[in-house]
Amino acid sequence: MTGLSTDEAAEIRAPVVSVWDLPIRLVHWAIAALIPFSWWTAHHDHLPWHRLSGYVLLGLLAFRLIWGFAGSSTARFSRFLRGPVAIGAYLRGRLPAVVGHNPLGGWSVVAIFAALALQIGLGLFSIDEDGFEAGPLSKFISFDASRAVARIHHLTFYVLLALIAVHLAAVALYAVRGRNLTGPMITGRTRLAPGVPPPRMAGAWRILPAALAAAALAWFVAHGLRF
Amino acid sequence: MPGIQPRAAAFGLIAALLAGAALGAGLSGADAAKARMAHMKALGAAAKALVEQMRSPAPDKAVVKIQAARIAAAAQAIPTWFPVGSGRESGAKTHALPIVWSDPADFTAARNKLVAAAATLDAAAQAGDLAAVHAALHPVGAACDGCHKKFKMADKT
Repeated sequence: MTGLSTDEAAEIRAPVVSVWDLPIRLVHWAIAALIPFSWWTAHHDHLPWHRLSGYVLLGLLAFRLIWGFAGSSTARFSRFLRGPVAIGAYLRGRLPAVVGHNPLGGWSVVAIFAALALQIGLGLFSIDEDGFEAGPLSKFISFDASRAVARIHHLTFYVLLALIAVHLAAVALYAVRGRNLTGPMITGRTRLAPGVPPPRMAGAWRILPAALAAAALAWFVAHGLRF
Repeated sequence: MPGIQPRAAAFGLIAALLAGAALGAGLSGADAAKARMAHMKALGAAAKALVEQMRSPAPDKAVVKIQAARIAAAAQAIPTWFPVGSGRESGAKTHALPIVWSDPADFTAARNKLVAAAATLDAAAQAGDLAAVHAALHPVGAACDGCHKKFKMADKT
């Protein structure tokens, strides 16, 4: 190892690799922007914009679910959703280092996606008190039922908010402990811990069919289950 | 009032008479508030049914006519839905604000906007002119919303 500086030696031990592919980052930041946008448009009576925001979120979520089966290794549910034994070991610090979501963080991601899916799903069936501003699926239920769904849609937003608060608190906790999670979510690159195999990035060609399928689903739902 | 369909006017008159009779028969303020909520829900349901037809690729004109007539009739009947004593003081969980009764001129003006918009909507619907119905929808929704913003407790859903 002679002739290498300490920094260079560290680089070899901890090479910089791709951890989050472009679709993951775009979906993440688009969701991060559209949730506040959805809240704002709802509270300022811009329901056409609120609906549009919901449809885009639906498409993003659908894409992310597809990507969770067909995307890069760090995107795949099969890689980051671990059982209670792995979670326990991770919490006691007895799990080897991982790249991507850790066993606990993976479930927090799924919890946020589930809450978001519920939020979008309820919004699709909601209607405003005047009966004019309606989600595209409210036509399948009565006005009263649709109003009840709208009230639940309002309440479940707090569930989503709570999960986002947990997510932000975790990111802040890591930052305090000297680990920057935000940077990799922007650049897509991270320094690999020793002994960890680098993630396998999905081929870019996969983005197009996944995005088309997600957009088609969002379009179909937004038009009241019609193309 | 020009532009008001006779059918809608008849509906309104009947509703007004019924409401008057109910109050005459000793309908309490709380009952009147509950009846108002039922009326408003029916109005919302009519708007929902109408908007759904207008969004469908092949609107059913018969449904459009019925629902537009309902909305116009309801607009006519609104004054009978707000008898004095049917506010929060009645004990009912009404969202109607005291300003409904303390500023009747303003309330009537707001309600007249709905009457006019609903009459235009109904005329277009009875004529079977879907393009005109489409154009007449927004003023009706705006009239609902305008009145609710001023005279109703915010329902944050």
